[in-house]
Parts: sequence; C-alpha cells; structure tokens
Amino acid sequence: MNNKNILIKQILYLVLPVISVLLLIVLWFFASSVNRVLVPTPGDVIDRFVKTFTNPINNQYIWGHIWASLRRVLIALFFSCSIGIPFGILIGWNKTAEATVGSLFELIRPIPPIAWLPLIVMLLGIGEIPKILIVFIGTFTPIVLNTATSIKLVDPLYLDVGKMFNANSMKLLFNIALPASMPAIFAGFRTATSGGLMVVMAAEMIGAQEGLGFIIQRGMDAFDVPLIMVGMVVIGLVGVFLAVVTNYLEKLVCHG
Amino acid sequence: MSRKKQISKFRYNIYAILSVVVFLILWQLIVSLGYGGIIPSPVVVFRTFLIKMTDSRPDGSTLPTNILVSLQVACTGLFLAIAIGVPLGWLMGWYKGIDRFVRPIFEFIRPIPPISWIPLTIIWFGIGLGAKSMIVFFASFVPCLINAYTGIKETNKTMINVARTFGASNFKVFTSVAIPSAMPLTFTGIRIALNSAWSTLVAAELLAANAGVGYMINMGRSFGRVDIILVGMVSIGIMGYIFSYVFKKIESVVVKWRTV
Repeated sequence: MNNKNILIKQILYLVLPVISVLLLIVLWFFASSVNRVLVPTPGDVIDRFVKTFTNPINNQYIWGHIWASLRRVLIALFFSCSIGIPFGILIGWNKTAEATVGSLFELIRPIPPIAWLPLIVMLLGIGEIPKILIVFIGTFTPIVLNTATSIKLVDPLYLDVGKMFNANSMKLLFNIALPASMPAIFAGFRTATSGGLMVVMAAEMIGAQEGLGFIIQRGMDAFDVPLIMVGMVVIGLVGVFLAVVTNYLEKLVCHG
Repeated sequence: MSRKKQISKFRYNIYAILSVVVFLILWQLIVSLGYGGIIPSPVVVFRTFLIKMTDSRPDGSTLPTNILVSLQVACTGLFLAIAIGVPLGWLMGWYKGIDRFVRPIFEFIRPIPPISWIPLTIIWFGIGLGAKSMIVFFASFVPCLINAYTGIKETNKTMINVARTFGASNFKVFTSVAIPSAMPLTFTGIRIALNSAWSTLVAAELLAANAGVGYMINMGRSFGRVDIILVGMVSIGIMGYIFSYVFKKIESVVVKWRTV
C-alpha cells in the first residue's frame, strides 16, 4: 500500500514537468494562432535564430553581437573588481574611510545605474566608453557592498587569534579577513554579473550599433517579433553561461 | 553604549557630514571656476528642484506628478509580484509536486533580464500603466519567488519533526512552522525585488513613457537640460532610499523574532 503510494508519487513527479512544458507550448501555439505577427510560433523563432547566422544584422552575425555585449560586460567587470574590491576592503576595514568616502558612496548608491544613462550619454556620447562606464557603475556597487560587509563581519574570534600570535594589521587583513570574506565577495561578483548584463541591455537599447540589446531594439523598430525573442533567449543563455563560469571560478578559488 | 563608544560614533557622524559638505563645495568650486563643462552647480540643481515642484516645463509634468506616476507603476508591479511570487515560492518549497510543475517554466523565464522584456511588452500592451507594471513585475517576481522558496527549504528539520510528533497535519506544519521560519528570507527577497523593480522602472520610462521620473530624465537629455537630469537622478535616489527605509520598518514589525 505504502510502496504503491510512493510509486505513484514518483511517476507523478516525473510526469508533472513534462505536462507543464507541454502546456506552455500548447498555450504558446494557441496565442500564435490568434495573432501570428504579435506572437510568432516557437518554430518562427528558431527559424529567425538560424537566419541570424547567415543574414547579418547591421553587418554582424549573431556571434558578433553576443561578443559585443559580452565584451562590454567583461571589461566593466574587470574594472569594477580591480577598483571595487580594494575600495570595499578600505571602507570595511578602516572606520575613518567608512565615515568619509563610505558615506559618499552610500549617498550615490541609491541611484540605479540605469538612471545614469542619460547623463553619461550627454557627457560622453554613445560610443564604447560610455557604455562600459554605465555597466561599470552597475557592477561596482554590489562588489563594493559585499566586500565591505563581509570584511566588517569577519568573526572577531579569528582576528583575536591572529592578534594573539602577534600578527600585524596587514597580516590580519590579508591572511585572515580577506580569505574569510572570499565567498561573500564571489556572491557580490555573481550579483554584479547578472546586474551588468541587465545594464548592458539597457545601454544597448538606448543607443548602439551592435550587441544583443541592439538586436532586441532593432526587432522592435522593424516590428520583427521573432528577432526580439531571439535576442531575449540568447541573452538568457549568455547569463546562464556566465553563471556557470562564475561557479567554476568560485570552486577554483575558494576550495582549491 | 559606553561613553567612549558614543563619542567615537559622534566623531564618525561628523566625518560623514563633513565629507558630504566637502564634496558639494568641491563640485560648486569646479563649476564656478569654469571646469565643469555642461555640468551645472549644485546650487543650480537645487534651484531647478524647487522650480520643478510647481513648474511642468519642459517635460509636461511637475516633479511630484512624475514621482506619483512612477510610484503607481512601481507599486502595482511590485504588489503583483509579491502577491503571486511569495505564495508560489512557499508552495514550491513545501509541495514537491508544485515545484516539479512550475520549475521548468520558471527556469526558462528566470535568466532573461527583465529589461529585455520591455520591447515585447510595448508591442503587446502599449506604454500604459499595465505594460510598465508588467515589466516591473518581471523584475521583482524572480527574487520574491526564489527567496520564499529557499526560506521554506532551509526550515530547521528538527522544528518540523517536533510539530509532526505533536500530531500536526502536513498543511498545519507548512503554515505554522515552515512559513514563519521562511519569513526573514522572504523579506530579503522582497527587498531585492524592491531595488530591481525601481531600476527596471527607470529603464522602462527611459524607453517608453509620457510621464514619470525616468521620462523626465530622458526629456532633460533631449532638451539638453543637465540640471533636469540631475534633479531626476537625485529624486530617484531619494525615492529608492525612502522605499527601502519604509520597508525596513515594515520588516522589523512583521519579523519581530529576527535577531540579525
């Protein structure tokens, strides 16, 4: 009796995901049958995706656009890590720095990165540097915040042990506080990555000649809904790819 | 708090205020000396802020109207996301069947950045309140659901077993043990949702709107009025700050037992 119940449950658990995916596809096809221009079928989207490999959009194949977005995010991430982590350590470790530069940072932080867009576009135009700068603003904040918070929250016991062994302040920071904060810094990096993807999309939608945000915007201007969906799915895949790479890096740094 | 600690806290507060003042003075100085380019001085920005309270030029609405429009959109989307995302996350965390059913759809939608929904939503629903609320919904739904789910999953097994030993039904354990213990994480999720809702809204208003703070900023760009842009940015920042402050108060009332 009990075994039979468990068996039914197991089968149900296997069948339920299949049902939900089927339901989604049926619903999608139903919506397409009502208005195929507004809601193209999954087949249309796949066809459009295949076409991006042979028909360039603004002289770029899909790889070029993926690389354009990815490059912007990676450059911005590089700069926000190399500036943000030391800055986070500074305001997490030093009380005076926290009160001075830290409060300025806190003052500017509530402004969402995307709200910087018009100002930066006005000051620097719509070239490559302003885009990277906006993504930088978006990725800088989570990295600084996580670094500073985790440095501040390092277990005092660890630090006291270090002090007992006569470690100086630098040693306490680099041999105890920093390694202990590594997981939190990585969590910040992960938030920064997904945030950076979002900001780069916004920046490319507002003014760009290449990139996945540009593809989506082009799809909207040309009323090419399949192209919009291609852009959305591809940016989603890029996000998944970056998350996997980040997880791998984290394992390498934190446990290896 | 000891006296010494109080004094040092006071000193750091003074530092904080001083550094902000120094920042503003430096900004004013740079502009006054003519090195600011098109950036207006803080005094001009403040004056524009005051004028904008009653003057609807150049974008067509006064600042309070713009803020209200943005708030309305943000609250509608956020409310829907909380009302659907949080219970769904709880149910998914507790009932495996629901988890198996919803998860494939959720995992398909999750990695797509909410901003990239904007063009599709505009084509489908136009640029009205509904369309923009939907974009905000997409931005805030995911963190609400994930954190509610994790909160249920991280419920202490001992507590669940104690409740079961005392004869509580599965549903009773869910409502009386699992949900309360998931509350702190759920609130964290809503707080993340709040931030992401607010910044996505700005993007939506930059791309398509006829009122709202993001629209005001964009018009500031079209008219070459950097002071309007800065007023908009500061207002967005202040609103975001007030949002999270109010929310923290609500959280401390609802999650009384939270120690951290």
